[in-house]
Amino acid sequence: MRRRWALTLARHAALLAWAAVTLLPIYWMLITSFKHSGEWVTWPPRWFPHEPTLINYVKVLTPGTSTFELGRQTLKILKPLWDSLAVASASSLLAVALGSALAYSWVRFGTGGPRYPYNLLSIRMVPPIVIAVPFVVYYVTLRLLDTYTGLVLVYVATSLPYVIWMMLAFIEEVPVELERAARVMGASRFRVLRSVVLPLVTSGLVVTFLFVFILNWSELLLALALTNTEVTTLPITLNKFQSANEGRDYGPQAAIGTIATLPVVVLGFLIQKHLVKGFSFGMIRK
Amino acid sequence: MSVLARLERERIFKWLPFVPVQGLLVVLLLPNVILLVYLSLLSWRITRGAWWNAPFTWLDSFAVALGDERFLWALVRTFGFAAVAVPLELALGFGLAFLCREPFRGRRLYSTIFLVPMMIVPAVVGYDLSMLLIDQGPFNQVLSLLAGRPVTVRWLSDYTAAKVAVIGADVWQWTSLTFLIFLSGLAGLPRDPIRAARVMGATRWQVFWHVELPLLKPVIAIALVLRSMEALKIFDYPMLLTQGGPGNSTETIAVYLWRVGWEFARVSHAAAMSLILLVVVSLYVFVAIRVLRRERRRLAEEGAG
Repeated sequence: MRRRWALTLARHAALLAWAAVTLLPIYWMLITSFKHSGEWVTWPPRWFPHEPTLINYVKVLTPGTSTFELGRQTLKILKPLWDSLAVASASSLLAVALGSALAYSWVRFGTGGPRYPYNLLSIRMVPPIVIAVPFVVYYVTLRLLDTYTGLVLVYVATSLPYVIWMMLAFIEEVPVELERAARVMGASRFRVLRSVVLPLVTSGLVVTFLFVFILNWSELLLALALTNTEVTTLPITLNKFQSANEGRDYGPQAAIGTIATLPVVVLGFLIQKHLVKGFSFGMIRK
Repeated sequence: MSVLARLERERIFKWLPFVPVQGLLVVLLLPNVILLVYLSLLSWRITRGAWWNAPFTWLDSFAVALGDERFLWALVRTFGFAAVAVPLELALGFGLAFLCREPFRGRRLYSTIFLVPMMIVPAVVGYDLSMLLIDQGPFNQVLSLLAGRPVTVRWLSDYTAAKVAVIGADVWQWTSLTFLIFLSGLAGLPRDPIRAARVMGATRWQVFWHVELPLLKPVIAIALVLRSMEALKIFDYPMLLTQGGPGNSTETIAVYLWRVGWEFARVSHAAAMSLILLVVVSLYVFVAIRVLRRERRRLAEEGAG
């Protein structure tokens, strides 16, 4: 009995320690986003603001491109926020639609041969910086540099391997017999896809969409290379702050970080019970 | 015509999704690979006219690349970072998933917290830690409290500490993914062999070592492959945390190539270095794909048997 208590205690100690490590940076960002400039950097650090304020959010969320104040440049994020949302949603939707259809045809018909998913994954393994240099030249020629279409196409291509690997695990679980039975009873192939397959893989589609949405919402390197002023995403905006030589603008940056994090975390909480099912990548026995 | 024959004939479903995907990949990748090789054979900077007028210098850029110590060190450093970060992520993720596998009070809360980091933009993580790790910052304060004496590690300006900070950022963020992968792996373990081993008198430890761990091998393989391939791309953390500094101590290959291509505008040199990187990474890709294929094949054989 005493041994079990000790085990439980040790378990909670370990889990609490990692929970604290996980929460510390998140807490600090959240709290800084509500601080006046005088409290951003102090010794000892302020773990709770004396007068919580929304000024940082107001600053970054008002229209325009940037403001100067006391030598500090504060960038506005209404446009980057919209651009990130548009580019990440469009590319993730397209990638999930194309990729899950392809995963289905690979599982059922062997499209592209037995090695096809591996070939796609090996493309994803190559660091994007390898292709970034010629990509700029290529996109200038195609007039796709600094356009939504250009960035969306790239993100569709880079997220396809993940979509296929996550979706094939779900599709392999759909019993062929079920599809056959529906076919024998006279349903068309489209009808079977819609009424038999789709309901069985819905949670897979949702989890896959969330995961590639996170990837595309976060991507920095290719966005830096392939966009300029017409299209600017949130990660680029944060990077601009950081490479600025003027005094650091901690509060507004923390507000941007919080705004960039919140929608994804909320989405994640909503589908948490599906998450555990979604990350087996076809590597679990059935 | 029999129904089954019609079923087999519907080849349109085989090719309908394949054509656009393959088309997109070919259109986006093929010209770029050709262009990459072409640019690497030129002597061209963005500031020097149009690339199609630039003179050929053939392999000169490769000679420059291989003679560039900063390039070679960035390459070594990137693999070094991955070699430290990925095992840590796998070990931590596995340990946490193992502790959370059976139901207990608070399990849901813990796993919810552990999953948050993977949902944060890596650039935000880099920025956030740059705020936390300033010399007189909250992190040093917490360390001082724990140590009982003043700790003043200069996380962002000391050569070694900055490396630890960049690796720490990767581990902090991606342990959440390995945790999730192992959690689904453990949840998917078949009950029968484990119960059989217990009935035959195996201890918990024996069951874990001889039954569960071998069953988890495919899951460990996919986590290892996914994390190492992403770790070789590390770009966001050094860019936002340290800008590759102090000196070049946290300059990964992606950051250095970014500088050569964009900040120094030496496009041909960057192209040559990219090709060298491609060759080096191909070795890794070759091994990784073999491992994955082997594990999937084994799964299929056992599933059928």
